[in-house]
Amino acid sequence: MGLFKTLAVFLRIKKKEVNVLVIGLNNSGKSTIINHFKDEEDKQSEIVPTVGFNVEKFQNQSLSFTAFDMSGHGRYRDLWEHYYKDCHGIVFVIDSSDKLRLVVVKDELDLLLQHPDICNRKIPILFFANKMDCKESLSSVKIAAGLGLDKIMDKPWNISASNALTGDGLNEGVEWLTQQIRDTIVNRN
Amino acid sequence: MSSFKRDKKEEEDGGGNPFQNIEKTTVLQEARIFNENIINAKKCTHILTKILYLLNQGEQLGAKEATEVFFAMTKLFQSKDVILRRMVYLGIKELSSIADDVIIVTSSLTKDMTGKEDLYRAAAIRALCSITDVTMLQTIERYMKQAIVDKNPAVSSAALVSSLHMSKIASDVIKRWVNEAQEAVNSDNIMVQYHALGVLYHIRKSDRLAVTKLVAKLTRMSLKSHYAICMLIRIASKLLEEEETSNDSALFSFIESCLRHKSEMVIYEAAHAIVNSRRTTSRELGPAISVLQLFCGSPKPTLRFAAVRTLNQVAINHPAAVTACNLDLENLITDSNRSIATLAITTLLKTGAESSVDRLMKQIATFVSEISDEFKVVVVQAIRALALKFPRKHSVLMNFLSAMLRDEGGLEYKASIADTIITIIEDNADAKETGLAHLCEFIEDCEHTSLAVRILHLLGKEGPRTKQPSRYIRFIYNRVILENPTVRAAAVSAMAQFGALCPDLSENIQVLLARCQMDTDDEVRDRATYYSSILRQQDKSLYNNYILEPLQVSIPSLERCLKDYIQSKSDEAFNIKSVPVVAAPTEEEKQISNQKTEGMLISTGPPRPVVSREENYTEKLSAIPGIQQLGPLFKSSEIVELTESETEYVVCCIKHCFTRHLVLQFDCINTLNDQLLENVRIQLDPSEGYQIVKDIPCQKLPYNEMGTVYIILQFPDDLPNTVGTFGAVMKFVVKDCDPNTGLPDTDEGYDDEYMLEDLEVVLGDQIQRVTKMNWAASWDESANGFVEMEDTYSLSSMNTLEEAVKNIIQFLGLQPAERTDKVPEGKTTHTLLLAGLFRGGHDILVRSKLALADGVTMQLTVRSTDADIAELITSAVG
Ligand SMILES: Nc1nc2c(ncn2[C@@H]2O[C@H](COP(=O)(O)OP(=O)(O)O)[C@@H](O)[C@H]2O)c(=O)[nH]1
Ligand SMILES: [Mg+2]
Repeated sequence: MGLFKTLAVFLRIKKKEVNVLVIGLNNSGKSTIINHFKDEEDKQSEIVPTVGFNVEKFQNQSLSFTAFDMSGHGRYRDLWEHYYKDCHGIVFVIDSSDKLRLVVVKDELDLLLQHPDICNRKIPILFFANKMDCKESLSSVKIAAGLGLDKIMDKPWNISASNALTGDGLNEGVEWLTQQIRDTIVNRN
Repeated sequence: MSSFKRDKKEEEDGGGNPFQNIEKTTVLQEARIFNENIINAKKCTHILTKILYLLNQGEQLGAKEATEVFFAMTKLFQSKDVILRRMVYLGIKELSSIADDVIIVTSSLTKDMTGKEDLYRAAAIRALCSITDVTMLQTIERYMKQAIVDKNPAVSSAALVSSLHMSKIASDVIKRWVNEAQEAVNSDNIMVQYHALGVLYHIRKSDRLAVTKLVAKLTRMSLKSHYAICMLIRIASKLLEEEETSNDSALFSFIESCLRHKSEMVIYEAAHAIVNSRRTTSRELGPAISVLQLFCGSPKPTLRFAAVRTLNQVAINHPAAVTACNLDLENLITDSNRSIATLAITTLLKTGAESSVDRLMKQIATFVSEISDEFKVVVVQAIRALALKFPRKHSVLMNFLSAMLRDEGGLEYKASIADTIITIIEDNADAKETGLAHLCEFIEDCEHTSLAVRILHLLGKEGPRTKQPSRYIRFIYNRVILENPTVRAAAVSAMAQFGALCPDLSENIQVLLARCQMDTDDEVRDRATYYSSILRQQDKSLYNNYILEPLQVSIPSLERCLKDYIQSKSDEAFNIKSVPVVAAPTEEEKQISNQKTEGMLISTGPPRPVVSREENYTEKLSAIPGIQQLGPLFKSSEIVELTESETEYVVCCIKHCFTRHLVLQFDCINTLNDQLLENVRIQLDPSEGYQIVKDIPCQKLPYNEMGTVYIILQFPDDLPNTVGTFGAVMKFVVKDCDPNTGLPDTDEGYDDEYMLEDLEVVLGDQIQRVTKMNWAASWDESANGFVEMEDTYSLSSMNTLEEAVKNIIQFLGLQPAERTDKVPEGKTTHTLLLAGLFRGGHDILVRSKLALADGVTMQLTVRSTDADIAELITSAVG
């Protein structure tokens, strides 16, 4: 930690507060993922389906994250856009065992990428191909292909396979996101 | 109300209020900082305060504006500042009804209500319930149940009160929380216990038996919370009041035992319940009155006030019992609290003897200028009661009233004085001339347009029938010179009445009306032209129809019919007969509305425009296929119950009469929570000549929701056949279901039926009451063109003229005219004059000469534009 702190001071970004938006279809594991990053005493023992959204906070390296964990139910997806404007990064969670709804995921992703508050910004997007432990799950490569991620040229993106129940793959993903956000902030400064 | 006057000075320099000059657009602009990544809690709290201030000042936000602020506000959930978060809850509550998609904060609020921060929990529950609709209630149900039984009393209370609010939108769901509410009733916390009782009662209140059990149980367990006991007293007294036979002495002894409770609040509540119950006997009254008497001498003004106010209210019903407190009330006459003094004096006035009137009136006069308008109204009401009780005192009382009229005062106060003078005039012929003179003087300097108009109307009605009508003309014409257009127009109409009724004044009136035709206002000119051209015809029948009798149709109906007419772009002329006539209020209805204001301190507000029963039903009926084509609704009957109370199914019927059709509306309620009824029909066995045109069944009748079945019938051509008795059976398919969810256990149901009581279709269903201002003139005129039928009857079952009058009016459904419904005391003969309209627009005039001998004999003369109708009426009586 000590080293990071000095580094942070050096880069003049002290404990920077950043906002990230966590979206994806319902039941993909968003709330479970966020729960993984929370301090031990704040952790929820039971995850219930989110109605609307929840705000959660956690730290990663020198960044202090405020995550808007959105509900992925059909009724609420139209409401994600209220939170696009002011976020520094997006976490997009996909249930890789839910092949049936992958087309729905693609629709939602396309809508996101075309949205006026998103399309002209170089905002980093982290994809989690979650539930990789499930038997039927697709690999992250297949998911990237299915969603046409290679066509995203103007935004940094990354996909990691993950298991939110054990935490596998989560830290790697968020580390990438932290790096990206720091870069943008450094560049801006 | 008007006693609350803001200090003028403070208002002028505006030093006190930092929010005075804020503006909506600026504040909404400022609210954008809610979206910033780093929340400045102090700044955001301040802006939220401004938003709440604006909303509470009545500022309106559009849906779009509200939604934008709402979503910006949701971002404040990231701040951990306690004050800011609590402001956010308030903001959510205020905006929940205006903004879209407010359910977005559901999870955030459930997290707060179940979280560790106690300062959030209760407030989060209240906010959560304000954003939750029926569809979302399931998601929060589990949390609500837990919160009701939470150890933290604030949390539990918030959950209970919110449950009560939500029962308005989803009473079925709330019913499932009964076990939790039951547990909360046992709480040690006084508020929790009180709120829990509120919820329990609400859940059970439609089930009498369950309420009885609840009360029986709680009265035994001696509740800790005084508030809860007060509520229990109210529930118990309501049960007692509704009971058919007064045999539940347990309930009464509970209430009576509360008279010995240690809390004054409980004692008062019990006394209040006992003295206000209509079944309390004078023996039972004693202890309650003693308690109030004791309170009259209390050093606490609130107790003295409560006691004297309650005594004031019951003075009319139990004068003897209240007289026992006379000495205590005398002591309160000089109470430094003027409200208490006023109530004490007016109570004494209500119960006192004629001899004490002068003394008490003098006493009031010493401070009447110091009390607020509300209490002045109480004084006026007492005077009204006195005048009716002691007609000989009318001149003292009139003088007092006219002095009050000259004082400062608001509209409501002045209107109550004018009302009282009018009542006295109507009741006591001796008081008429003085009363009118006082009113004439009053309108010389009356700042309330509506009141001036009413008085002018009265002068027009009563003035021509006095000994010297000409003396009123000057007062009325003065209004034409000095007042605003509304008053001038009313004055013109009043003058026309004199022109039509007093032949020797007619010429002068014509001159005055000619001057009014030069008025600058359209309405005044139009009226003057209208009246003067009718008066020029010198035709009594024209006078009668177009000057003396008011418009018989209901104004809201007329408005609706004219609107329809304009939209239909029809070539035919508008037919006024197509507009439903307005039913004159019955004597009982008038009494009820009088009782409501009697002795009440609560303002009933300005009188609402009268919307007839028919007008209310028209909208509902026009949505039913097949009913629109029947033409305008002529008359709707009162509600007839076809089942006994407290049965499995409750069915009521309303008979709607159209020109040629009868529509029966059966309102059904299923009180069994383990049954869902489907395809509910009424099998009708109509009397001879009726034809059923259409049946409209009710598809689904879930537990405790009202469903309606309609049957459209065609009236028989033969008029005598239209009166008859219909047999009725309710038929339906039953599906057993889970009482908790209301969902049927299986798809298959079984047929069942339920016998209903017979439905009577009576003469009155086809007749609308019509008020005739000048019945005699209509009668004279009807000598030509109407058919007359006459018959003599002996009404042997009636023992008094009053009884006969009441029964005839009710049976025929006609409106009494010229106050002939009141039988002067000590008379053995009486003539009752009635008027009405039969469906299809046929006029009916009835004269009933009554004589008291052995029973009552009646000579009934019926005139109608239709011979069959006249015959129907004479034969129906026999
Ligand atoms: N097998 C498996 N189940 C998961 C994983 N992540 C989440 N879940 C389960 O998926 C369900 C939905 O998770 P949740 O976090 O509520 O999804 P959200 O709607 O996206 O927030 C829960 O029952 C989780 O336990 C995972 O990686 N593997
Ligand atoms: Mg979730």
